[in-house]
Amino acid sequence: MSIEYNPKYMKHFYDPVWENFEDGFWQGIKQRKLKFQKCSGCGTFSHPPRVRCPKCKGEGWEWVESSGKGRIYSWTVARQEVHPAFRVPFEIVLVEMENEPGVRLISNMVDCTPEEISFDMPVEVCFREVTKEWALPMFKKVGG
Amino acid sequence: MSLKNKACIVGIGSTEFTRNAGRSEIHLAVDAVTAACVDAGLEIDQIDGMSSYGTAGIYAAELAPDIDVARSLGIPNLRYFGQTPWGGGASCGVVAHAAMAVASGVANYVVCYRSLKPASGTVRYGRPTAIPAEYRYSYYMPYGFASPTMWVATMAKRWMHETGATREQLGYVALVSRENALRNPRAMFYGRPLTMEEYLHSPMSSDPFTLHDTCLENDGAVALIVTTPERARDLKQKPAFIAGVGFGTSYDSHSMTSFYRDSIGLPECTEAAREVFRMAELTQKDIDVAQLYDAFTATVPMQLETYGFCKYGEGGAFCQGGDRIRLGGELPINTSGGMLAEAYIHGMNMIAEGVRQVRGTSTSQVKDAQNVLVTGGLGVPTTALILTQGN
Repeated sequence: MSIEYNPKYMKHFYDPVWENFEDGFWQGIKQRKLKFQKCSGCGTFSHPPRVRCPKCKGEGWEWVESSGKGRIYSWTVARQEVHPAFRVPFEIVLVEMENEPGVRLISNMVDCTPEEISFDMPVEVCFREVTKEWALPMFKKVGG
Repeated sequence: MSLKNKACIVGIGSTEFTRNAGRSEIHLAVDAVTAACVDAGLEIDQIDGMSSYGTAGIYAAELAPDIDVARSLGIPNLRYFGQTPWGGGASCGVVAHAAMAVASGVANYVVCYRSLKPASGTVRYGRPTAIPAEYRYSYYMPYGFASPTMWVATMAKRWMHETGATREQLGYVALVSRENALRNPRAMFYGRPLTMEEYLHSPMSSDPFTLHDTCLENDGAVALIVTTPERARDLKQKPAFIAGVGFGTSYDSHSMTSFYRDSIGLPECTEAAREVFRMAELTQKDIDVAQLYDAFTATVPMQLETYGFCKYGEGGAFCQGGDRIRLGGELPINTSGGMLAEAYIHGMNMIAEGVRQVRGTSTSQVKDAQNVLVTGGLGVPTTALILTQGN
């Protein structure tokens, strides 16, 4: 099971906007690659992206492609309607990435019921097409 | 130089709390400010400052802007006006700004207010309409991660996992708030008791929360008047001294989505707590009663931890059974019923209740309450106040 949308609202909810310093993330998404900001000075990862590295204050960033592997750090299940764009129930997961220290990502699962989700469950990224323009990073069970 | 006891709250005013106020946010604000002036014994035209807050950056534009409220009240001039950002997180900061304005002589009588009508108006605070233009929402809205309840639920679920806090423990927060509301005729839930059975069997809205874990949705406005202790002597009420104020953002602070820290929690509160206790020169043991921002049950035990009333991981147990947090207990909380059971006025009603405790006029009065802690909204940059008798 996965999140289901009411197509009527797609444009409202699937038209991301971003700042110049986040461009690498969204350009990556367009190419179906999950990329995170890594400081070229001290190696610190940041998500969501920032202008300067919080550790060394450098502005030199690389956009590093993630292995996409992570574990469930937290989640919630929406059981009462939040907005008619999203059919309930659906789950939100907060995934802690395995190879990018300190990076977590909010997303949906594509292949399991809310009841199957547990803390520290291993997951990996996949891309799901939500509009003609956008495929978004979502997660599936490892080996699932 | 310290702000300690340089300002006090001398008037509190409120509209009725209702599902349908039948008038605009501006009108509600005008009514609350008028009531606060009557309470203080002040002419409306003496008001020369306004400190307010809204949800700019989260939802729509402010619906009761200071100049519109001042214009409808016929206030001749505002020598001070200021807004504090971040929704409910601002509540105590709005009063802190008023205190700074009167203590520095920028204005003499500053009114703080919040007016909102999510129950019958066009802006419903729990409900999204689309991706707001602010870039940060693009990481959340497309996934349906679109309401404050879901944002805080994700934080609370992890906190419960790490600390072993239970749904039953959260239930006692809801129950104690309801007990307090049963003594408060102003409260939305006056006359409507809640049992643990009902709490535990209520359907989930966003795991781990049910409707009983989330605040009320109502219309109403609350206003407070801040002035100096010298001016307070000529007014009607016993002043509630502002002994301490605290602001905190902590590191990597986001608006309701601070999910990227070493440990999910409320480090903003730890920072605000340090500042508010330092200025007031008081410790947690000195606090007789606390009004802890309760848009959600779980953030109450989380604040008991971050405001230093217990250690990390002990907040759930602190609430178990309810005895330590109810009237007569070691730290009575949210004595008006708070936002779970009195009304959701973005925390301004909880500051008014803090003032009542100092005056000795609460419907759940803590005997000889000397020092009251009031806190602002959670999961956002936050603020806190300590109100005292001024001795």
